[in-house]
Amino acid sequence: MVNEPKPDEVNSNSTALTVKNLSKIYDSAAGKVVALDNINFAVKKGEFVSIVGPSGSGKSTLLNMIGALDRPTSGNVYINDVDIFSLNDSDIATMRNNLIGFIFQSFNLINRTTVLKNVKLPGTISGMSASEANERAMRILEALGIADKATQKPVNLSGGQQQRVAIARSLVNNPAIVLADEPTGNLDTKTGEDVFDMLKTLSHKFKRTIIMVTHNPELAESTDRSILIRDGRIDKDVIN
Amino acid sequence: MNPSDIFSLAYDALVDRKVRTILTVLMVVLGASLVVVINGLSAGQSAFLQKQLSSLASNVIYASSGQRSYYGGESSQASLIVNDVIANKIRTLPYVTDVVPQYSGSVTIDSYGNVQHVSVVGMDPTKLTVMLPNLVFVDGSTLAPNDRSAAVVGDTIANPPGSTTPFVIVGQTLKITYSYSDSTGKQQQEVRNFLVTAIMKPSGNTRIDNALVINSDAANQLLRKSGRYDSLVIQTTDDTYVNTVQQEITGIYGKNIGITIPQAFLQVRQQTAQGNAMFVEMIGFIALVVGAVGIVTTLYNSVTERIREIGTMKAIGAQNSSILALFLVEAALIGVMGATLGLAIGVVGGYAMTSFPSHTAGGPGGFGPGGGSISSFPPIFLPEDLIKVWLLSVSLAVGAGIFPAWKASKLSPMVALRRE
Repeated sequence: MVNEPKPDEVNSNSTALTVKNLSKIYDSAAGKVVALDNINFAVKKGEFVSIVGPSGSGKSTLLNMIGALDRPTSGNVYINDVDIFSLNDSDIATMRNNLIGFIFQSFNLINRTTVLKNVKLPGTISGMSASEANERAMRILEALGIADKATQKPVNLSGGQQQRVAIARSLVNNPAIVLADEPTGNLDTKTGEDVFDMLKTLSHKFKRTIIMVTHNPELAESTDRSILIRDGRIDKDVIN
Repeated sequence: MNPSDIFSLAYDALVDRKVRTILTVLMVVLGASLVVVINGLSAGQSAFLQKQLSSLASNVIYASSGQRSYYGGESSQASLIVNDVIANKIRTLPYVTDVVPQYSGSVTIDSYGNVQHVSVVGMDPTKLTVMLPNLVFVDGSTLAPNDRSAAVVGDTIANPPGSTTPFVIVGQTLKITYSYSDSTGKQQQEVRNFLVTAIMKPSGNTRIDNALVINSDAANQLLRKSGRYDSLVIQTTDDTYVNTVQQEITGIYGKNIGITIPQAFLQVRQQTAQGNAMFVEMIGFIALVVGAVGIVTTLYNSVTERIREIGTMKAIGAQNSSILALFLVEAALIGVMGATLGLAIGVVGGYAMTSFPSHTAGGPGGFGPGGGSISSFPPIFLPEDLIKVWLLSVSLAVGAGIFPAWKASKLSPMVALRRE
């Protein structure tokens, strides 16, 4: 089911994200490659959405567009009613810092520095005072059960703990949406489930809007809604 | 991002790659210290030569046996014996007001068991001011030109550097030993006692300050010269006649006599020294540039290695300017550490290089305008020179960081995140 946003949804206070007519075409040696073809959907605040699909279907490209890591060929993405591609590069960076939290498959932590410094990095980038950034970071680390690891370096933690640090980092600036790209992909089944449960808790208990790309159909079914991407198009949009 | 946060991240990144950072800093240290040492020694040498130049009379020519250019190179064999006949002939030349014959050699002096090896000059001590118009003596000094046992002592001999007690004082006896090989090749010694009748105050001329002056006849006998002078000091009416007199003497004796004009000699030496300093300074600058290339390599590698980190930082909102600043601060930190250490090592090294004692060969006639060895002139480190080297080093370091920093700042976050 394709979830076409209605015009009023774009400005609705209950909508965290709106994707409108989004297309991405890459030029390659073999010719033009359509990675995304006229994608439309909206995500409500607090909703936990999974994006699934076979390899090369365009799900990661879609996540990159939503995260403003790449610009589309055409179409719009609205986060908290902000048309993110109407912004210049500098404002896009500020928007990413303020409105989006990223969780990567391979954690992407800075291993030479401490867990605390990693977690407060988005705060540091936004110019938050050191004391406020510390306080926020510690509060989140406590909520995620890894406050005792604050002074350790990420390399000394297990995969699950590292991903929790990455989750903590994604939350420190209180973003409008959290984008998770295969957050359990580098973890064993049990740890992956724990991390997934944590994301679910964030969504249901703390009303965080989460969009997660995953290969795992079981995890996808456990989210509020699954969007199946195939050949750059939305094949199914299912409420679970 | 706050400047302090950027500084902290840059510092962490450098500490994380300790060995590479240290090696890169060392490159900058090498260049900066080399430039500092060269500047210091060059300034010291320049001041030394200037002091020598100002202490010497400008209307004086040195003549000695053998061919010698005006800046002092001596021929392998003497073809003219400089004796009273030559001296008297030169005295009769126009514009010559005085001729002071000199014997010279090296002797060992003994004062109450303390020994020094010094240059000795045999001449009329009252004529010392012909060469050094501003020469003065310590209180109680008396010049006794006809006293064959009188000695006039240079300041550095009387008051050796680093010693709290004088080596000799006026009125004290010195034992002078001259060592030589006789006609059979056997080592012989000539020993005589002299009374110190005068001590010179620092003259600004290291040769004078390191010399012992005795009566001409006494030197002739002690040094076994048989009336053959080592040099003649020729005083002209004024400095405008120096070249005229020199041409006159050369016209008579051709290449059989060596002529040295101290002022010209020192000026040439100064120009040569400046030329050499510029050359070596260029080497120092090249060393700094090599250091800068090292910084480019280090930071470029760092950008490549940290590409995912850069991508992550951009993904979570870091501005291009923050990434640029981060890498530039890393380059600046390398530059600041390298330049500061380089300055310190350069200054210490400059003094260390000039602290080793070395014997300086005498110029013509013992009091000639010799160039002085490296230890003759302490280095001079001018604050403005040090600041310039520091700024140059740091600027080169930051300049070297621009390309890698720009490269990092322009990375697309998506491309950077995909890179393994």
